[in-house]
Amino acid sequence: MSKSRENIIAGLAEDLEPVRRITTSDGLLLVAFATLVAFAVSVFVFDFWYGMFEGQASAFFWITNGLVLLLGAASTLALVIGGSPRVGQRPNAPGWTAAMVAVLPIAAIISLIPGGHSHEGLNDPVAWLCTKSSLSAALLVGIASVLWLRRSAPVSLERSGWLTGIAAGALGTVAYGITCPLDSISHLGLWHTAPIAISAVVGRFVVPPLIRW
Amino acid sequence: MIGDENTLARLMGAAQEGDKAAYNVLLSEAGLWLERYFRRRVPPHQLDDLVQDVLLAIHAKRATYDPSRPFLPWLAAIARYRWVDHLRKVYKHESKEIEDDDAIEDSGEEVTLARVSLERLFGHLSEKQATAIELVKIEGLSIREASERTGQSESLVKVNIHRGLRKLATLVEEAE
Repeated sequence: MSKSRENIIAGLAEDLEPVRRITTSDGLLLVAFATLVAFAVSVFVFDFWYGMFEGQASAFFWITNGLVLLLGAASTLALVIGGSPRVGQRPNAPGWTAAMVAVLPIAAIISLIPGGHSHEGLNDPVAWLCTKSSLSAALLVGIASVLWLRRSAPVSLERSGWLTGIAAGALGTVAYGITCPLDSISHLGLWHTAPIAISAVVGRFVVPPLIRW
Repeated sequence: MIGDENTLARLMGAAQEGDKAAYNVLLSEAGLWLERYFRRRVPPHQLDDLVQDVLLAIHAKRATYDPSRPFLPWLAAIARYRWVDHLRKVYKHESKEIEDDDAIEDSGEEVTLARVSLERLFGHLSEKQATAIELVKIEGLSIREASERTGQSESLVKVNIHRGLRKLATLVEEAE
């Protein structure tokens, strides 16, 4: 062993302080808390849509928000687990859940074909509102995720970037979604999934430099 | 002699509690393990720096180790991460040199990439990329000599090296 390595080891051992172990539940709690804050802010700004509990929401509303919530949960779990160095095969729950959510915009586009049931879609007047509001809520979740990743030790930065973007986009979209009374497949399938795609791409490019260690 | 998995996990658990003696032993053992890990991945003159870099990373991220899980996979993941980071720095350095086109003879760091299972990795490159990298980065020819040898223009040789090295770095990064 070289002298300089011996010195480094001696120095590190001398400076050693007890540390509190970082656990998966720490990360999950942090992201869950940020999501709750995003929910609260959305409700404060836009008001809760009570119609969903009064039988006014269509099946598309529950299916879309349910699938997007699952995507957010699967991505968050993968993201948090990825903060702890390990080798071997990674479970691909986020990939499969994302594939399920991807069915929604496809269904929305098909519904826009002339003669279909939908009359909204690309000319949706509140499309931009839903997109930007979901992305704003996603920002809160994204910040919490990045804080977690900076505390932990992600060893696959690109994957962590994608997961952060997807988790933040999905949870932010659900947080805003509980205030949005538009429940057609064309609206939900396009404008409540677009923020996830945007957030995922932003996460891929913005997050890695922030979490490099 | 490198300690067994259970011993290392126990030492790391004790280190997290602040046991300095256990930590000293653990880092020494980890250093030996890392030496073996990196021996076939980096040139000898970079080995000690990389080992020390990982030891510092272990210290900085020691709170992320879960004593209920094996220690060596945790260590291996950190070692691989730091190694890939090392390769990325070498690649950036290489790219700059290719752009400058004046440091072909100084091939010390190029050995890093050249040693990473080249035969297997070259299979993923196009024939022109593999030939350009082989002539310039391994055999040490200048861009001009490689251009004359292959019939590719000098610009094309540079582009093929640039893209080929980038692809190699990506392959290495993606490998588990």
